[in-house]
Amino acid sequence: MAAAAAAAPSKAQVLSLFRAFLRTGRKFSDYNIREYTVRRAADAFRDNRALADAPAAAAAFADGKQQLEVAKRQVLVYSLYAPKAKSVVEMKIQ
Amino acid sequence: MAMAAARRALLNHLRVPVARPATAAAVAAAGSVPVARLLSSTTEVEKGSFLDKGEVADRVVSVIKNFQKIEPSKVTPNAHFQKDLGLDSLDTVEIVMAFEEEFCLEIPDNEAEKIDSIKTAVDFIASHPQAK
Repeated sequence: MAAAAAAAPSKAQVLSLFRAFLRTGRKFSDYNIREYTVRRAADAFRDNRALADAPAAAAAFADGKQQLEVAKRQVLVYSLYAPKAKSVVEMKIQ
Repeated sequence: MAMAAARRALLNHLRVPVARPATAAAVAAAGSVPVARLLSSTTEVEKGSFLDKGEVADRVVSVIKNFQKIEPSKVTPNAHFQKDLGLDSLDTVEIVMAFEEEFCLEIPDNEAEKIDSIKTAVDFIASHPQAK
């Protein structure tokens, strides 16, 4: 387990995680949270793109997976308490 | 033989008359629905119609032009995301997600990896039955 965790994730794995983040972030009903999640994910992946050593990359990847689980839970929680009115910003778009 | 004749006579006697006007009205009502639905866009989606390639290309280009890291003047129908538009693999993932939102479809990972230029994106979306 420890050896597997230390290996750097492949490019496809990282992109797949990023895609999962964007997909999950999009599901937030709240405009602010939705935009923040997507922006935060994109920023974090860009910050960590240059991680050279395998353990650091693996740690970042594991952290990302944990954060994805948090985001998935929060999508559910936010959907339970979603306000009826949409944000003004969104009303303009529609 | 006599039994059969008696049975037929009995059945004829017992037959419940069908209320014709009611069925005629029902048929007319049912007949009017498809006409209305032919005109709505939802039937096309249910049937899985394909979008016109030219329209797809226009919408793909407009999605890409709206992406903040791209100079709209550089976008051409044959542009490659990484070679011509200077995007990295993370940007490409974001662009493909933008296509998903624009065309209301879900692109699986293995297909999303193959989309690396405007041409491949247009080809994929134009051949996707759920794109709208």
